[in-house]
Amino acid sequence: MSRSRSAVDPKRVSSELFSLTYGCMVAQLLKDFENPEEVNKQLDTMGYNIGVRLIDDFLAHTPSVTRCTTLEEVAEILCKQGFKMFLGIVPEVRNWSASKDKFSLVISENPLAEYVELPPHCQDTLWYSNIICGVIRGALEMVQMDVKCTFVGDTLRGNDSTEIEIKFVKILEDSLPAGED
Amino acid sequence: MAVCIAVLTKDNCPLYIACDPNEDSLKLHFLVHTSIDVIEEKLNSATAANDPRDLYLGQLYPNEDYRIYGYVTNTKIKIVVIESISNPLKDGDARQLFSKVHGAYIKLVCNPFYSPGSPVTSQPFLSSVASLMRAKTIA
Repeated sequence: MSRSRSAVDPKRVSSELFSLTYGCMVAQLLKDFENPEEVNKQLDTMGYNIGVRLIDDFLAHTPSVTRCTTLEEVAEILCKQGFKMFLGIVPEVRNWSASKDKFSLVISENPLAEYVELPPHCQDTLWYSNIICGVIRGALEMVQMDVKCTFVGDTLRGNDSTEIEIKFVKILEDSLPAGED
Repeated sequence: MAVCIAVLTKDNCPLYIACDPNEDSLKLHFLVHTSIDVIEEKLNSATAANDPRDLYLGQLYPNEDYRIYGYVTNTKIKIVVIESISNPLKDGDARQLFSKVHGAYIKLVCNPFYSPGSPVTSQPFLSSVASLMRAKTIA
């Protein structure tokens, strides 16, 4: 690859391998299912399975993280530590709703979607990085938080920014002394 | 100025040919086609030669109106650049042009939805090759 010639940084090289692997996986899913909506669902399910396992790894590697009491804290830790640790990016938290139960994550540079161009037939229906939504949903479910996570925009589709909307639904099993603000 | 940039696969199928609209594209296509022979000959003879990592083949053969340069990658993708005799490219410029075209090709191939060997419709690739062709007219 032209970039890895100039800086032999092991992290950088494996990120290209990761992007290529993810790309091939999405391309294969599209070939197998043919319906972009179905592929979105599959990516979400795969992400969910990753998330339920990833949360333990994340909590083990960040002992400084304590139980969150508000959704703002969740958003902060998700962006500044979670995304940073696994994808190497720090998304921006924006668009808090009035009741503070919904926010958006804006990703400026998506490592999954490097060099990707969507084929014309799924330009309007496929959310290429939908696996991220599943991961967030799965991870937060393991810490007793039920959230709904969806994409609202993707630069691959021609939107201005890659944006994920996270909406808090409820606390599961009532085990937290205080849910959200 | 570069009047034609062509990318060929290892089976010598044209992946992408871009010609300057002012020129006769049929003639340029023909020149690209004939240059394949010259490239093959060079490849077969240059086995023990000083093969650098990317085989920049230099000027392939003389023609009264044009200069034809060739470049082959390790995966046997051939890039042919034809430029008019009025504004010859220096060696360093030609190498740079080829490495930029090669870079654009790499980005194209990294797209998971592009299957190697199929005709190129990717907008970023088309626009970067078009700008490379244009850039040489200013240089």
